[in-house]
Amino acid sequence: MSEYVVTMSNIVKTFGHVQAVRHGEFTLKKGEIHSLIGENGAGKSTMMKLLYGMYPINSGEIVIKGKKMDHLDPKTAIEHGVGMVHQEFMLVEELTVLENIILGFEPTKGMKIDFDAARKEVQKYIDQYDMEVQLDKKISQISVGEAQRVEIIKTLMRGADVIILDEPTAVLTPQEAKRLFEILKNLREDGKSLVFISHKLDEIMDISDRVSVMRQGQYMGTVNVEDTSPLDLTKRMIGREVFLNIDKAYGKAGETILEVKDVWVSSNKETSKIRGMSLHVKEGEIVGIAGIDGNGQSELIEAITGIRKVEKGSVILKGKDITNLTPKKVRDAGLAHVPEDRNKRGLNRTMSIVDNLVAVQLDEEPFSKNMMITKANQDVYAEEMVKQFDIRPTDYNLPTSALSGGNAQKVVVAREVNMKKPLLIASQPTRGVDVGAIEIIRNTLEKAKKEGAGVLLVSAELEEIISLSDRIVVIHEGKITGELLASEANEENLGLLMMGGKESK
Amino acid sequence: MNNNSAKAGFLRIIVTMLLSLGIGALFIIGIGENPIDAYMALFKGAFKGKLRFGTTLAGFTPLLLSSVAFAVAAKAGAFNVGLEGQIFLGGIASAYIGINWTFLPKPVLLIVCFLGGALVGAAWGFIPAALKAYYNVSEVCSTILMNTVALYITSYLVSGPMSAGTANAQSHPVTVNLYQFMKPSSANVGIFIALALVLLVLFMLYKTTWGYKIRTVGTNPDHADYVGIDSKKVFIGSMMISGALCGIAGCIEVLGVHGYFLNNFAAGLGGNGMLASLIVKNNVAGAPFMAFFLSVLKAGAMGMQQSTGVPKALVDTITAVFIIIATMETLIQFKEKAKKKDKKEA
Repeated sequence: MSEYVVTMSNIVKTFGHVQAVRHGEFTLKKGEIHSLIGENGAGKSTMMKLLYGMYPINSGEIVIKGKKMDHLDPKTAIEHGVGMVHQEFMLVEELTVLENIILGFEPTKGMKIDFDAARKEVQKYIDQYDMEVQLDKKISQISVGEAQRVEIIKTLMRGADVIILDEPTAVLTPQEAKRLFEILKNLREDGKSLVFISHKLDEIMDISDRVSVMRQGQYMGTVNVEDTSPLDLTKRMIGREVFLNIDKAYGKAGETILEVKDVWVSSNKETSKIRGMSLHVKEGEIVGIAGIDGNGQSELIEAITGIRKVEKGSVILKGKDITNLTPKKVRDAGLAHVPEDRNKRGLNRTMSIVDNLVAVQLDEEPFSKNMMITKANQDVYAEEMVKQFDIRPTDYNLPTSALSGGNAQKVVVAREVNMKKPLLIASQPTRGVDVGAIEIIRNTLEKAKKEGAGVLLVSAELEEIISLSDRIVVIHEGKITGELLASEANEENLGLLMMGGKESK
Repeated sequence: MNNNSAKAGFLRIIVTMLLSLGIGALFIIGIGENPIDAYMALFKGAFKGKLRFGTTLAGFTPLLLSSVAFAVAAKAGAFNVGLEGQIFLGGIASAYIGINWTFLPKPVLLIVCFLGGALVGAAWGFIPAALKAYYNVSEVCSTILMNTVALYITSYLVSGPMSAGTANAQSHPVTVNLYQFMKPSSANVGIFIALALVLLVLFMLYKTTWGYKIRTVGTNPDHADYVGIDSKKVFIGSMMISGALCGIAGCIEVLGVHGYFLNNFAAGLGGNGMLASLIVKNNVAGAPFMAFFLSVLKAGAMGMQQSTGVPKALVDTITAVFIIIATMETLIQFKEKAKKKDKKEA
């Protein structure tokens, strides 16, 4: 048996025509934390889903603990001690923590579930790794960080000694992240092998033993953490050719287009999630909003676009007060909006590509006349958009549910950007899309800016924010913690502000 | 919807019909009768002779409208159980106008009767829709309750202020009528009006911006709001269209079939309309066929009972079997989907 508990070599994985992993390599030693980094769509999550058996590989070889795995599915992966903590938790909200942990392999006593035995067993892990969870609370009552610990205990209970964590810190507050790292270190000391997927460099430097980099589905090498630096990793991760060469035009910002003045907004769960935010966007500039997911970005955008109520404060678009107007009126005042969730809002998945492309301008000529839909004109337009944005498949009468993430997002972007509205809000425009689409989408945003639009960009990808924005506003827990010019910004100082500026290095 | 899936859907309905008739046949054998004779009698009862065929058509007309009315509301995501109440109130409005507004020339009066019925039906649809849209009151509950309210309002009117003073609770006769073309049956030109309305609804749904908005709101209200379609208004609008169609159904019943407002005349129309629409998954083009099938079963049942020993309740059994098969079929679809998904991931 080699020194590796997991070896993945020459991995290829395609989804339809998209090559998610072109050439993947990965090894995991016993008792190490191995980070896998790369930008969105680089194939890191896919690599680990392959290891967990969620998809079959097209070619290549996966060896777990010396055994070559031919037909890997999650069940066999679990049997071989591989566990995964997904980005989205797989927990039943209405069951208690304990019930969730034992779900699927409950210890029984006669016909009954032996909760006492289960509790003892779980308690063992809690004590051993210092993972405090409240066993009798419902999942809906506990915090995200705690839910994550529940997920980790779940994998341990199923006998995992190889644990994959898919971007575990994306949803955590800094305190919770710190806590998680303590746990991960405890697990490592106990001989568990961990895979840590992330694109946050400071975290990776902090916790890993080794780091593997992927770019555009390609394995870019592995380094020991002592031998590298954040700068080195960035270079490996992004490469020069992708978007750092976006020809950013500074200093052409004109009149103020959007002004947000001391705005307070509630979220679905808490009142005043956003507490007194002010910012502005000028013509011909991209303002990036950086922040850890869930710190009020969604609420802010929904409030500006009229989808969510503003409690207090005002929003002004091109000199017009649009506070609490309907989405339609806000759009009429000059807004185009690429929403964060293309499946929930951005698209009507049951309707066709052409229907989705005209959704916003349906009432306008040439797409309709006297309330009659003019299908012929819509077709001409759809044909043009499909070509211009390289939307595939090109049959625009297909429902958008048939599209891959990247192509679906291109439909949204095509619809919104083509109207050339003075304000373009793009929320997570490249989340979960492939590299080709990322490039098209980013170039489109840059082009909109050059043509004089004010662009407000929200992204969880720091490098996306840095490479596209002129100015960067950092938010933390519903407040603005800082504003920088993109030229002064780097992962370090942004990261610090994103964590509320409390923790210093 | 593309052509293929429409065709497949149509085929499925036919297969389901045959299957349920087949299971019905087993029941008939079970009670010692000959299913072929029984079905022949049923068929004759529905189609043979002017009177029978006319009666089938007369029964089909309001069901056609109520089934399509339900489907339209469903297209915007509304579950309009209030069809019956809307039919009653539309009917009473038409009756009132038809009886009292004799100062209008007849052709105008006829149109006004329809408009009045449609308007009142729409208004009765507006109430639960607005409650749902702005106060999140379940339209299912409120429409069920409002059905009873509507029934009692009309019962009161035709036994009190509008009563003709006869033993039956009914109004005075209306002064305009729809031409009955298959006497002695009560089949009347209302059926053509109904068919035209169905075509109009189809056109509206698939060729106009209104229809686009209704379909958008019904499939993804979040998306609708985001692109600037006021999902609340569209929801209310589609419920009002639904109510208007029901109101017109009531008007046709009053002006075309009875000639006056007969207490409780629409009993069962709402439920059956809903059924017809639900079985075809609220497909507006499919609902009329389903409505026709149900009307034939209903109309033929009496003939079957009279000429064979099979009780007419058998028809209810067939309908029930039909529903079971139709729902099972969604089950099958679900399984197929799951399989497909597995394949994709496997």
